[in-house]
Amino acid sequence: MMNRPGLSRGVLIVYGLYLLLPLYWLLSMSLRSNADIQGSFSLLPPTLTLANFAEIFSNPVWYEGFANSLSYVAINTLISLAVAIPAAYAFSRYRFLGDKQLFFWLLTNRMAPPAVFLLPFFQLYSAVGLFDTPLAVALAHCLFTVPLAVWILEGFFSGVPTELDEMAQIDGHSFLYFFMRVFLPINRGAIGVTLFFCFMFSWVELLLARTLSGASSKPIVVVMTRTVSASGVDWGLLAAAGVLTVLPGVLVVWFVRKDLVKGFALGRVS
Amino acid sequence: MLSVNNVCLIPNEDNVFSHSFARGEICVVLGANQSGKTNLCRLIAGLNTRARGAVHLDDKSLEKLSPRARPVSMVYQAFVNYPNLTVFENIASPLIARKASNEAVSKSVTDLAEKLRIDPLLHRLPSELSGGQQQRVAIARALAQDAQVLLLDEPLVNLDFKLREALEVELRELLRASNTVVIYTSSDPRDAFTHGDQLLLLDKGKKIQAGPPLQVYERPSSPTAMALLADPDINRFYRDGKLCALRPEHIELVGAGPTSGNAVDFHMQVTAYETNGDESFVHGLVEGAEWVLRQRGMLPVNVGQTLQINAALRDVVQF
Repeated sequence: MMNRPGLSRGVLIVYGLYLLLPLYWLLSMSLRSNADIQGSFSLLPPTLTLANFAEIFSNPVWYEGFANSLSYVAINTLISLAVAIPAAYAFSRYRFLGDKQLFFWLLTNRMAPPAVFLLPFFQLYSAVGLFDTPLAVALAHCLFTVPLAVWILEGFFSGVPTELDEMAQIDGHSFLYFFMRVFLPINRGAIGVTLFFCFMFSWVELLLARTLSGASSKPIVVVMTRTVSASGVDWGLLAAAGVLTVLPGVLVVWFVRKDLVKGFALGRVS
Repeated sequence: MLSVNNVCLIPNEDNVFSHSFARGEICVVLGANQSGKTNLCRLIAGLNTRARGAVHLDDKSLEKLSPRARPVSMVYQAFVNYPNLTVFENIASPLIARKASNEAVSKSVTDLAEKLRIDPLLHRLPSELSGGQQQRVAIARALAQDAQVLLLDEPLVNLDFKLREALEVELRELLRASNTVVIYTSSDPRDAFTHGDQLLLLDKGKKIQAGPPLQVYERPSSPTAMALLADPDINRFYRDGKLCALRPEHIELVGAGPTSGNAVDFHMQVTAYETNGDESFVHGLVEGAEWVLRQRGMLPVNVGQTLQINAALRDVVQF
């Protein structure tokens, strides 16, 4: 085979540009005024303006949308990890009656589309007064993120030899000491990856978030879909909101980037 | 004294036995794979195992005690260290669990590290060490616990040949000095002689013989016991309807003609010959059985030829 580094590099560059184009366009739109956007086509914004971002940070509808989203995403991620870490440890370390069935059942929750659960959640939350709170959305998302988190973490935890648990016992350490001082630090990467998956699911999920939130807990994805006013679509504002919506994901990816590859292999890489 | 009573090492096999291990002695537990060596260690340490039986230390039952509470430390066959802790923290781990003072911890850790020659590595992580160094750390941690029972479950098996020999010599000196019960499991007969004050032979969960290694070597109670201490296998033959056996190192090549009355003669049909220059092994058929003999140096032997061999009468073991 002929060795043509120039060609392969060229292909990669073209592909990279293709992937980056929508992101660039979003960023460039967010920095323009509506007149600019709807005016003549130009690759670079003729005039740069931060007015769209200023609007988002000064209008409570917008920044509260972000705050609402971040709060239920944070609650969801915390609950998911708090529940999934002990569960995954149990699945990886103990054999008990029906363990395999239970593990599979957890996964089947991920096979149902979220829409199926809309009605029961809506009715249930209305009845117990949870409707229109961040906790409602967070709990609903847990139905999907907890099985995912258990599934990912179990793979990582099973890769840690049980001799290590026994070693700590023989050394005379309590289980809690071993778990906090050795086991969790070893699996830091796994937890980071799981956090990423929970965060992303909850952050981009629209259907449950929209149905279970009313006026006072409206998440940002919902705010964005409702910005079509009588005066038409506010393109620049929407783009600015889009940029801000992408940012948290980028930040999370940045922090767990080293462990992501392992995470996608579900921990089966040593 | 540590005693195990009515122990069944492998479930579904009714091979119940009892044995006592004395303090200040190293007992080598010798057996093939799946003979129950690891199960014995796990039973004594109180870890999850399918083996059943009572364990007493100085007449006190350990049965109700969790592994945390037992005065037992252990070294695994695989190099088990806390991967996120430095060598220092690894060795200090059992001391920290016992809430020792900082000075006491650093003194014992430095002492042990010096003895095991890992003192320059104290601030590294286990992943930055070679296999031999990792196992030294694991041994140092087990010794740091200063427990009354020390279990070494085939500690040197996963090391390569040279490292193994170096560590073998050091380990012997370290272990001799203590007043602990040391149990050293192995599948290599040489370990019985290098480390063992006492020897316990296991076969399929069964205790087949116990005693000082040389005594067991000289007076094996069964062909299985004899075979466990032989490398390669023993050579079996029948005389007057009785099973007799010879160790491969006790067979000599004879130049020509019958030998004196103190020896037994055989004819061997050579099927294979291997040598590494220092030692040679000749495989062949004798009286319908497969035999192997071991000799120093290289031998003038060809495959297919018939060899005249003999062995001294006193080396023949009769069962």
